[in-house]
Amino acid sequence: MSEALVSVEDLSISYASEAGDVQALRHANLEARKGEVIGIVGESGCGKSTLASAFINLVAPNAKVTSGAIRFQGKDILKLLESQKRQIRGRHIAMIFQDPMMAFNPVLPLGEQLIDFQEHRHDVPRSEKRARATAMLERVGIPDPAYNLGRFVHELSGGMRQRVAIAAALLMTPEILVADEPTTALDVTMEAQIIHLLRELRSDHDGAIIVITHHLGLIGELCDRVYVMYAGEVVEEGRTEDIYHNPRHPYTKALIDCDPAHLDEPVAFLPTIPGRLPDLVALPSGCSFADRCPIVQERCRTTSPRMIETGPQHRARCHEALR
Amino acid sequence: MTALYEVSKLSVDLLASGNGLCAQLIQRHLTINILQDIDISIAAGEILGVVGESGSGKTTLARSMLGLQPVSGGTMCFDGREVASRTDFSNLRRNSAFMFQDPVASLSPRMKVGALVVEPLVIQRRPMANAAEKAKELLERVGLPASIAGRFPHELSGGQARRVCVARALALNPRLVIADEPTAGLDVSVQGEILNLMTGLKKTLGLAFMIITHNLAMVRHVSDRIAILYLGRLMETGPTREVFARPAHPYTRSLIASEPQPDPRKRRVDLAIKGEIPSVLARPPGCAFHTRCTLAQQRCKEESPLPQSLPGGRTVRCHFPEQQPSTT
Repeated sequence: MSEALVSVEDLSISYASEAGDVQALRHANLEARKGEVIGIVGESGCGKSTLASAFINLVAPNAKVTSGAIRFQGKDILKLLESQKRQIRGRHIAMIFQDPMMAFNPVLPLGEQLIDFQEHRHDVPRSEKRARATAMLERVGIPDPAYNLGRFVHELSGGMRQRVAIAAALLMTPEILVADEPTTALDVTMEAQIIHLLRELRSDHDGAIIVITHHLGLIGELCDRVYVMYAGEVVEEGRTEDIYHNPRHPYTKALIDCDPAHLDEPVAFLPTIPGRLPDLVALPSGCSFADRCPIVQERCRTTSPRMIETGPQHRARCHEALR
Repeated sequence: MTALYEVSKLSVDLLASGNGLCAQLIQRHLTINILQDIDISIAAGEILGVVGESGSGKTTLARSMLGLQPVSGGTMCFDGREVASRTDFSNLRRNSAFMFQDPVASLSPRMKVGALVVEPLVIQRRPMANAAEKAKELLERVGLPASIAGRFPHELSGGQARRVCVARALALNPRLVIADEPTAGLDVSVQGEILNLMTGLKKTLGLAFMIITHNLAMVRHVSDRIAILYLGRLMETGPTREVFARPAHPYTRSLIASEPQPDPRKRRVDLAIKGEIPSVLARPPGCAFHTRCTLAQQRCKEESPLPQSLPGGRTVRCHFPEQQPSTT
């Protein structure tokens, strides 16, 4: 197994609010290795967006890092100076956003922006940067790339925009590519095409791809390993195969059961997860899933569970993980 | 079973209007065909799913059916009576409800939930003995606590806002609810709750629903029948179970095959459908789907296929539909 390219160690982030500190991320540990596609999955409020913003060092101004670090090339990237952070952002760790419309400047042609994305290559002439941009658009499946370089973002369809956003990220040749809900805004046929593209790219891209999503279909199609998050914690991690076929945390199991795509036969009533997410300002003392858990025990309400090893590369934060 | 709402040969054309006066003068007589030859029927107590990609005309269809969009041809009958004039549609709107795509945007930010859910009754001048009591009753029916009546829309979660929209839709005791993307943007566990609520209302109140969506996995479990729309043409209709088990149209097949699978063992290697849905401004001649169809022949490029009936109450619009085994 190769060494971790980036690792999140015991990271906790909270947001100041009128009601008190919202603990959006609590003691998260995860790592991405070279050549790997990892998935981070969870529902609204699980902390996945906070984690995404931490990866590219764009945490909100009211956010506080209360513990931990993100290690990349031997340094904690959260503790760098703003100028050093800028060196890493984009060039080493790039991001693909959910809404590619917002990722581009609406009043500049796409070609200009794709050239600007290669700003760090001072020695390369502009004409060569343009040629690289054209080749990259071709690579991500944009027809007639030379013509499309002159167009503006509003002139493209949603699927095309996402392809250009992927091209923009790849032009910076980052070691780590973070994709935050890359297919949520797209139709199913476009989604399939973007998944196909990302899968192809992993062969040319020798870094790690981190996919952040609430969509299990995207995880199943794309990822090697998965981290499942709930209420700010990583509750289970493992290979996609093991997580899907042998989930050890009751939340993971419930989440998979809820997804209508996994049911082969039509059902009259869809499964749901009863109850609500706990208040992230005043968290319960025991397991954060205890109130919604079908197999809850007495100790779950009093003691917070640790991560328990349940198999090779498979861990779950549940007292009952080994049952 | 007689249809509650029957649409036949519906077509909608829009006037192309550019920006500015010049463009409008030049293009005055240019029309863009959005929908053509749409035949849809919804029976009482039935859930019809309308599936299609963006730009397929799903929302235009829903708006036309409620008189919010002028149509250029075809007939629509509600409960056996034709709806055509403005008065007809006003009457129809008393018996039907529309759930808009964005729940928060469709709720007035300055009204409290209690007032929002009884607003349809106020608009239709229905007598209401006690508005607070009625609001409580409606909220209860969609599984919300009465205390939520005092909140503003921005204080609601995504799932709660959807439930408020369902409560609003139920206020007039409609017989048909048209819901545009009722679960877009919701977490899977909440999506299930909203859909179960709708299925429950169908059973207890005999409500008919038309659900517009691009989420196949969802529509498969909740709808009784589905209609597949592509670039303003109805490609296939039929009972959901049959269509999923044996899709007749190549487009339906590729849609089903495109759905991402959560099970890594079922990972797809090839791409079921390439390219993008063409623009309505550059509609391909012949079959609208031929530019992306893997089975397209010369005939498909020249001649637009007519809808043909298949056994089991199905229709398909394709020159070369998948052969269906005789009805079981």
